[in-house]
Amino acid sequence: MSLPVGALPLEAAPIPAFVALFAPAVAALVLAAAPALRRRGAPASWVTLTASLLATAAAVTLLVTQLREGGSHVWMASWLQINGAGVGDFGVRLDGVSATMLLVVCVVATCVQVFSLGYMHDEKPPAFGRYFAYHALFLFSMNLLVLAPDLLQLFAGWELVGATSYLLIGFYYQKPSAGQAALKAFWITKLADMGFLMALMVLYKTTGTFRWDAAVTAATATTVSGLLFFAVVGKSAQFPLHIWLPDAMEGPTPVSALLHAATMVAAGVFLIVRANPLFAHAPATRDVMLLVGSGTALFAACLALVQTDIKKVLAYSTCSQLGYMVAALGAGSVFGGFFHLATHAFFKALLFLAAGSVIHAVHSNELADMGGLRRRMPVTATTFIIGAMSLAGIPGLAGFFSKDLVLASVEGRYGWVPFGALMATAFLTAFYMGRVVFLAFFGEARGHAGHAHESGGSLLVPLLVLTVPSVALGWVAAPLAHLSGATYELHLVGVVPILAASLGLGGFALAWVVYGRGTLVVSALAPLERLVATRAVNRVYEVGYRRVLLVVADVLGWIDRYLIDGLMNFLGWSAVAGGRALRRVQTGNAQDYVFAVVLGAIALAAWGLLP
Amino acid sequence: MSRHLLSVLLFLPLLAALVVMFTPRQYLRTLRGFSVGVMLVEFLLSLRLLFDRHVDAVDWSSASYKFVEAHSWVESLGIQYKVGVDGISLWLVLLTTAMTPIALFSSWQSVDTKIKEFAIAFLLLECGMIGAFVSLDLFLFYVFWELMLVPMYLIIGIWGGKDRVYAAVKFFIFTMVGSVLMLVALLYLVSQYQHLSGHYSFDLGELGRVQLPAKAQYFCFAAFALAFAVKVPMFPFHTWLPDAHVQAPTGGSVILAAVLLKMGTYGFLRFAMPLFPVASHFLGPTLAVLAVIGIVYGSYCAWVQKDVKKLVAYSSVAHLGFVMLGLFSLTTQGISGAILQMVSHGVSTGALFLLVGIIYERRHTRELDAFGGLAKVMPFYAVIFIIVTMSSVGLPGTNGFVGEFMILSGAFSSEVLPFARVFTAFAATGVVLAAVYMLHAVLKMFWGPLDKAENRGLPDLTRREVYALAPLVVLIFWIGLYPSMFLSRMEPTVNAFIEGYVQKRNATVDLEEARLGAAPAGAGAEAAQADIRVVAPGGAQ
Repeated sequence: MSLPVGALPLEAAPIPAFVALFAPAVAALVLAAAPALRRRGAPASWVTLTASLLATAAAVTLLVTQLREGGSHVWMASWLQINGAGVGDFGVRLDGVSATMLLVVCVVATCVQVFSLGYMHDEKPPAFGRYFAYHALFLFSMNLLVLAPDLLQLFAGWELVGATSYLLIGFYYQKPSAGQAALKAFWITKLADMGFLMALMVLYKTTGTFRWDAAVTAATATTVSGLLFFAVVGKSAQFPLHIWLPDAMEGPTPVSALLHAATMVAAGVFLIVRANPLFAHAPATRDVMLLVGSGTALFAACLALVQTDIKKVLAYSTCSQLGYMVAALGAGSVFGGFFHLATHAFFKALLFLAAGSVIHAVHSNELADMGGLRRRMPVTATTFIIGAMSLAGIPGLAGFFSKDLVLASVEGRYGWVPFGALMATAFLTAFYMGRVVFLAFFGEARGHAGHAHESGGSLLVPLLVLTVPSVALGWVAAPLAHLSGATYELHLVGVVPILAASLGLGGFALAWVVYGRGTLVVSALAPLERLVATRAVNRVYEVGYRRVLLVVADVLGWIDRYLIDGLMNFLGWSAVAGGRALRRVQTGNAQDYVFAVVLGAIALAAWGLLP
Repeated sequence: MSRHLLSVLLFLPLLAALVVMFTPRQYLRTLRGFSVGVMLVEFLLSLRLLFDRHVDAVDWSSASYKFVEAHSWVESLGIQYKVGVDGISLWLVLLTTAMTPIALFSSWQSVDTKIKEFAIAFLLLECGMIGAFVSLDLFLFYVFWELMLVPMYLIIGIWGGKDRVYAAVKFFIFTMVGSVLMLVALLYLVSQYQHLSGHYSFDLGELGRVQLPAKAQYFCFAAFALAFAVKVPMFPFHTWLPDAHVQAPTGGSVILAAVLLKMGTYGFLRFAMPLFPVASHFLGPTLAVLAVIGIVYGSYCAWVQKDVKKLVAYSSVAHLGFVMLGLFSLTTQGISGAILQMVSHGVSTGALFLLVGIIYERRHTRELDAFGGLAKVMPFYAVIFIIVTMSSVGLPGTNGFVGEFMILSGAFSSEVLPFARVFTAFAATGVVLAAVYMLHAVLKMFWGPLDKAENRGLPDLTRREVYALAPLVVLIFWIGLYPSMFLSRMEPTVNAFIEGYVQKRNATVDLEEARLGAAPAGAGAEAAQADIRVVAPGGAQ
């Protein structure tokens, strides 16, 4: 998907792209600089929302232009020069990929913000304002990443969304667990970002630029793409760096929908799509991606089976679906990965927001406190079920088409192991989503669920808006593929789509039997529950953190205080002690001095007499 | 005035110190206002270094010294009063003039004893710091180098915390041991110069023309390097720093971190490296190893500190490790990045010390465990603290990112460092570790329930505190978003520095080889004469 680059002169600067970039930036700046406005709450939300709507309108314009004219346009200005040569560029790159991604980000962000108007309504005005200020900052950072003309700007956006994520996960700052989760997310993604940083170094040293489409040797491509993939593993929550994502659910639910499902975590996948020229020359990296992606997909789906917190189910599901995208990219299907990113963004945002609507009504994240909500919250239930069906790959819905592309791309690779894993995941996905649907919306009401009421308009409208692409996006796959320089042919009849569709339906059916009717108990789940309860992967990190890193730090701290500083103090002390000892020689007694002179004379004479 | 601008900058604080000395001590407001006012005037005057249009020499696209002023001082020894700035010292002078009024202004909230003496100490300190940065005569440099030691010693020892005397003496002795050795090496260098040219000189340019044989360079470089390494401070000479910072009053800590530490890195760049390039070439990798150790080691030590001021002090060890790595990478972006990082570190760490001072004044403790949930009672304070933290962690868009990034990419592509990639990879872990220790502190201070009664009534930032912090926050973003303004004015000097350094190193190496090659041929006498010589002007900086 690498397209010819032609830097445009200033006059041709694409105005809508800058609107998409700077409208949220201005909103964030205004809210940062005017605490009085921010602390009043509601006005802050209008500032951010206006900016998001502007950005969305701009994104629509850009996509329409792209559909009509196509091509790739780059506009850059250098902000960091070394010896007169631009090193760091700021600018926008407009092509099918960035235009599509921009629209996805802006639409989801706007929906999430509208949803938040209602969802966060009970927050105190200063907290409400702060929340929307963070959202404006996030949208700017994300658009900076999406429109980046080179890897350095992409990195800047990448780091900024990480920082915003940190602030938003820790939004409820008085909850100790929220602070911990924010810290964990930041540390782990920052660790992975070292890969990005080193990739930039290698790229700069070998090509003198940060362009992903610069000509590189195969060895460099492998190194750079391998390092970049390490960063992706962190950002897109792939095994074994996925552990921060479930904890990140400590943030408000709309935040989970926007950052930790639809957009920010998908930035890793987006990076691979962008830097595809590098990845295309690195078969070794892509093989690793295929294995890590399909492994994560299956692993996370298993974990999702036994979660009791509705948000945790969705979080593991996100890991799993990101695994699909990574596997597709590893198998070489760039559009497959990218298309699944787009559909997933919509239906997963929809699922999270619908879950948020439920949580808002029953005041609990636990599936055990829900049940029978279908009657009390019909709109929420319907939209959630549509989202779940799209995710499960029910034919005709968006998820079906993109999942089909992913599955087709891995066909036959590595003795069908990734294919088998992803097929199994497709079944498990339908099963765990069915489980949530039947536990939350069917059966008897438990806990507060009996008194739940359907949410208000600002919560429902975004759900309805997001339902549209969750259902229909699959039918516009061909023009989208064309935009990103690929071709797409609809093939509904074939082994893969039929198998995937029947696995999806079968998963739902099994979930209905187990959780809807309660006629069957899946005994395999009990040992899995026990296994998950051991939190084995987290344990490894905890041991590494407590037993290794903290101990090293403690030991170094001790060495510094007692050995190194002790040595310095000892040197100082010995100088003082030496002086004190030497002072004794100066007795002030004339006889002693005469005695010393005589001794000295004898010594000299003896030395002179020696042969 | 333009021609004497540097002298004005040097002597204005000195003159003001004299005025303060004759002001009755009960005029508290006058004393406070006057001293800060003079420093603000000083800052505005120093901006003319950037924008002065009356002097032809102010063209920052050339590498030469500007605003040069030279007068003979001690004629028989060739000692001059010679000052000037180039693209390197320019930014450090501006950093000094910007940070000093902020530090003093913020001190007036907490310092309430011996106001008059405090103001005098600060004014003398400013004179000493600027003098050290603008001196082009090594004797003059040495005078200022020692001059600034005294007020800092007094600031820690008189207005410091509980163990202030211990910390002050430690600070003084550490610095003194290094600088005395430097003086010996300096006198040796001057005597060699006199031996060759028949007259004495302490002029930096003149002494730069002396090519010492490699062995002599090692000793001289080691002596200079020790003096500067203590000041930086490099591992393992850093232990005075946490003590000094913890005991120093807030204003003292700010200046210590923001400016005094830069004396060390500046000394390497201005004196140790160009005067003894062969030695610095061979010892550079060793120093780079120490720098990387400092980054990782300092970060780990910072992490386990319970006292937040100590944590910030150890973070300085790590950040200055980056600067040293950049210097010894000997690439344009490495050295420019190092200079930018010196300024950035001054701004960010200065701000951190101000912030720590603010909470200390309210709570009289700096133990991390004593805080928690402060975001609720001090939201504005929390916002500023997190912004500065992000800058310290190197978030793109803030000043910390540009310097660190340039240093790392300079080190990565360095041709003089062996295993440059390994060095860079280890140094890059410092970026992650910075996030570990800084955000750990942020978590402990601001997140969680507000469960300690003492913290419930804490007031948020006062207007005074905002005045002190606001310029620093602006600088954090300014440098982060528009670094070209700084880089374009330092690059010519940096390139000239690298060129001169390499040229002189090669010349000395050629000379050594000629000597070794000539010795067996029986031309011993000639070779001995070739040991040291003054190269043609222009051969060195």
